[in-house]
Amino acid sequence: MRARADLARFAHTLVHNHSLARMVSEYPSLLRSEEMSLVQLYVPIDVAHSTVEELARLERIQFKDLNPDVNPFQRTYVSQVRRCDEAERRLRFLTVQIDAQGIPMRPFEETQGLLAGRSGAQALDELDSRLVESEQRVAAMNNSYEALEKRALELEEARQVLIETDVFFREASTRHDEIRTSFDEGASAPLLGDIEAGRGPEESGFGGFELEFVAGTIDRARMPTFERVLWRVLRGNLYMNYAEIDDSALPVPTSEAGSQAGGEEKKLRKNVFIIFAHGQELLDKIRKIAESMGATLFSIDSNADKREEKLREVTARIEDLNSVLYNTNQTRRTELLKIAESITAWWTIVRREKVVFATLNLWQWDQGRKTLVAEGWAPTRDLPIIQAALRQASEDAGTSVSGILHELKTHKTPPTFHRTNKFTEGFQAIIDAYGVGAYQEINPGLFTTITFPFLFAVMFGDIGHGVIMAASAFALIMLESKFKKGTGSEIFDTFYFGRYIIFLMGLFAIFTGFMYNDIFSLSLNLAKSQFRWPTDFKEGDLVEAIQTTNRYPFGLDPSWHGAANALIFTNSLKMKMSIVMGVIHMSFAICLQVLNHLHFKKPELIWAEFLPQILFMESIFGYLLLCIIYKWSVNWEEVGKNPPNLLNMLIKLFLSPGNVAPEDQLYPGQATVQVFLLLLALVCVPWMLCTKPYLLWKEHQKIAEQGYHGIGANGNGAIAAEDHEESDAEGGGHAVVAEEMDEEHEFDMGEHVIHQVIHTIEFCLGCISNTASYLRLWALSLAHAQLSEVLWSMTIEGAFEMEGTAGVVFLFLMFAMWFTLTVGILIVMEGLSAFLHALRLHWVEFNSKFFIGGGTPFAPLTYEGTDEIPEGVIVAA
Amino acid sequence: MTEALFFNAHAGYLEGVLRGFKAGLLTQSQYSNLTQCETIEDFRMQLGATDYGNFLANETPPISTSTIAEKATQRLVDEFNYIRSNSVQPLTKFLDYMTYAYMIDNVVLLITGTLHERDTHDLLERCHPLGKFETMATLCVATNVEELYTTVLVETPLAPYFRDCLSAQDLDDLNIEIIRNTLYRSYLEDFHNFVLSLGSPTSDIMSPLLCFEADRRSLNITINSFGTGLSKEQRAKLFPSIGRLYPEGTSALARADDIDQVKAVLDGVVEYRPFLDTSGSSSGGDGGVGGLEDHFFQYEVSLNKLAFMQQFQLGVFYSFFKLKEQEIRSLTWIAECIAQNAKDRINDYIPTF
Repeated sequence: MRARADLARFAHTLVHNHSLARMVSEYPSLLRSEEMSLVQLYVPIDVAHSTVEELARLERIQFKDLNPDVNPFQRTYVSQVRRCDEAERRLRFLTVQIDAQGIPMRPFEETQGLLAGRSGAQALDELDSRLVESEQRVAAMNNSYEALEKRALELEEARQVLIETDVFFREASTRHDEIRTSFDEGASAPLLGDIEAGRGPEESGFGGFELEFVAGTIDRARMPTFERVLWRVLRGNLYMNYAEIDDSALPVPTSEAGSQAGGEEKKLRKNVFIIFAHGQELLDKIRKIAESMGATLFSIDSNADKREEKLREVTARIEDLNSVLYNTNQTRRTELLKIAESITAWWTIVRREKVVFATLNLWQWDQGRKTLVAEGWAPTRDLPIIQAALRQASEDAGTSVSGILHELKTHKTPPTFHRTNKFTEGFQAIIDAYGVGAYQEINPGLFTTITFPFLFAVMFGDIGHGVIMAASAFALIMLESKFKKGTGSEIFDTFYFGRYIIFLMGLFAIFTGFMYNDIFSLSLNLAKSQFRWPTDFKEGDLVEAIQTTNRYPFGLDPSWHGAANALIFTNSLKMKMSIVMGVIHMSFAICLQVLNHLHFKKPELIWAEFLPQILFMESIFGYLLLCIIYKWSVNWEEVGKNPPNLLNMLIKLFLSPGNVAPEDQLYPGQATVQVFLLLLALVCVPWMLCTKPYLLWKEHQKIAEQGYHGIGANGNGAIAAEDHEESDAEGGGHAVVAEEMDEEHEFDMGEHVIHQVIHTIEFCLGCISNTASYLRLWALSLAHAQLSEVLWSMTIEGAFEMEGTAGVVFLFLMFAMWFTLTVGILIVMEGLSAFLHALRLHWVEFNSKFFIGGGTPFAPLTYEGTDEIPEGVIVAA
Repeated sequence: MTEALFFNAHAGYLEGVLRGFKAGLLTQSQYSNLTQCETIEDFRMQLGATDYGNFLANETPPISTSTIAEKATQRLVDEFNYIRSNSVQPLTKFLDYMTYAYMIDNVVLLITGTLHERDTHDLLERCHPLGKFETMATLCVATNVEELYTTVLVETPLAPYFRDCLSAQDLDDLNIEIIRNTLYRSYLEDFHNFVLSLGSPTSDIMSPLLCFEADRRSLNITINSFGTGLSKEQRAKLFPSIGRLYPEGTSALARADDIDQVKAVLDGVVEYRPFLDTSGSSSGGDGGVGGLEDHFFQYEVSLNKLAFMQQFQLGVFYSFFKLKEQEIRSLTWIAECIAQNAKDRINDYIPTF
């Protein structure tokens, strides 16, 4: 039996290997996005579930929705998705309960072991029944707990009312007695005394006549309204007494505390009130109003002894209730503790099942064959792995039939997939943030890995700062495994994600630091300087260094440090250097177009687009670059004239072509060369403007001549239909291949011309403004050097001049200040700003020359994100 | 023109937020998806794909239609409260005016409920949350009109409207209806004055809306008063003094004896003409009044949609919440049809956008 299954599988592979013949053998590169294939899967219904599971683990295939016209609730697996939703609801409930109790949930890493071998439908079934049971139990306990709590609150309120009313009554009776005694003393009439005496026996605990009253508690916020309404109803005859209940006296029911998501602990603020009134009707009215305002009323006896007795009774009951409450809570806690052990694993199961069924819903159900048909994109290179996963899935499901995969031919543009590793990931993210490259377009991400840190370092050149930056990034790299899961701090995670970028930025900053000879704004004397300082000079004189025949071997001569004209020198150097690097960077970007044109089989665009662009660029800025280097290489003192100003030269090249003043002349014949270059650049403009629209028009004419015009959108339809049949024959089924042709747009010459005009203007102006834009390299590196020099001289430099103990203390303090500011301002803040500028140079100046970035990213089926509790379930405390 | 300069300073942000809310109103395709649902569960799933999101996700099935309506209303209230708590004058006052209508409904609901000896707490739960005020609960104490006014309503914003009703003596069903309509009349006139005081363009948008509301009430009063004890003079008093039917139409309505005379009045206004037109319309089968309500709603929706065409005015705030209310009514209707398996009438909802 087993052997036969193997044989069948072997046959499968034989049959379907021919479709995989176009294997990609070379090593994956980042230059172009991965080659993709549109694949079709026929999966028998019994193995569908495990197939999706395998593929989700593989993360190498992106499924297309084959039922776009079907409502979400009419799809095949909707009931399962709904079950997952229901299970999620139960899990949410339980998670919130666990969280409210402050029980720690076992982290996912520990519970993952529980998942082993537990997947598929029966795992969900099991889990479902457990969840139902747990939810019912916890909900029942919650209900009884809440009821008990409510009762406890009521009793506590009753106790407070008893205590407070006792105070009213006592006060009232003493006052009454006082009045009475003063009255007795004042009125000596015996008749009056008789009456009083006669009434004596009737007196109850309270005054001379029975006053009726209503007592209870009410929310403190409602007190003023309550009083006002009562006053109006009783027409001003209101005798009301109230007292505030101590804020912490009343227990807060969890149901109310839970609904208030705030940092502050919620408290019940209530007042005890007692209203005296006469007449049953009025009392009824008061009661009704009080109740409608949400007050709780208590019947209180006016007799002091009875109140005492009641108070004792209430207190005893509160104590009983509290112990019951404690017990209930304890049992609930135990139950929740048990759930907390494995709830994270349950989350994973449910969320994964949901992913699986959501994917299955994208597939098409073939009623006749009991199979599911799926279509999706996969990297061509990974097809064998996917095949293996399909076989693995059928083994997992315990059947001998596995899913069948075969490749489809298509005219659709596949998604863009760059295979990155942890090093290239960050750099690719920088480019993807600008735009995802079109399928198989040259990917600037590859070059960014070096040019980005390099351009950054040009602006950030300092050995010391570079070392600190590289070292901290290196620490992150070394501790990689520790932070892999994320720390929860967004800022830190961002830095962690860019750790390799930062590391390279640091290394390059060390390199440029050596070139600028800057270490914390000081210089290194690594070799003998080419300048010698004269030994005899008077104080206050300007001293001029004498140049020797010796040459400093590497970077900037340290003698420039502190020289009066150091800034003039470095400015000139860095400014020209920025232009040189900028022009090279952009020229390289233009050259990359050639690779795109060749790859997309449009060689005519090389002369129609690339050639005029590069000529335009080089005839103006390439020439400038050559002049810069030439000017550097000439010893102008020997020639015996002032070095000509290059900026003026460039301006005059445009404004007065053909004229070069003799004192500004760089080399003989300059005027002729410049006129030629200017003409060349001018020719390039109409060249760029006209050729491409013309080519497009010609191509369109050609198609039209062949007679495809009338059919319009169906022009390619015939071919597609053939393809369609072919693939059907291969698959041996009638399953519909969702092969929609890209609709051919109506050819509109005007649109193309306008587009090309915009493009040309953008390119020509862009060349000028982008070159100027590279001057930011100079500006930022200047700012960085000056800032670090200012910081040095303002803080720590002064400390070196002091001596003795005071000097030590001062130095200690100053060092702390200098170092903090160095890290905070010079490395972090300046680093961020240099990062942003490097980013801009890549996005705008570099990418705009060749990169279109109109692709869609490859989003493979994945389990990622299923191993955590979804956001918002637990409200952060 | 000054509105265009300064409007954004005080209400620009909120208008932006509100237009964002408006973008979340259900579209025609979403409605048609909803109508295809077989069960309430499907309905919930389908709503999950809309702006409502998973607002029903934590409800234990089975879900009743009242839960859906309640939750949806809660969202409306939340949105309203967000807008109101961030607003400044004159928008605050404008929004306050909007709540008065709900207050009137709540007051009348409570009085009627108390009259029929319903449980106060039940009644309170049925009140619209936007029309709640502090002393509302004490309404149930009052037994006659004067008491009602002096104990409770005197300190609410409704007090000025109530002054006209003090002549009514006992609380019975007819008097309560009179009170409701008198209150509404004064309210609409007051609101209309306020809106006019805001000037163009707010008044350009709001005035037709309020006028239509007034006309609708006049028509309803007239039609409902046929065959009741309401005298014609009393009826005339209840008509608001605004609206497109005022004054000729309303005085004709005051004299009307049957539905045909009402129809004659409606013929005077082009837009209102089809309202009672039972001959041509498809839904004419159930005769007059039921179809009339639908016509009213449809016309109201179309007026409210117009409000979004104009910027720098407060009418959008009124219109959005009216449209949202209509949406909730439609949702409830669809859900109810699904629940009662009355699929044939499921398409009788009134779509908004």
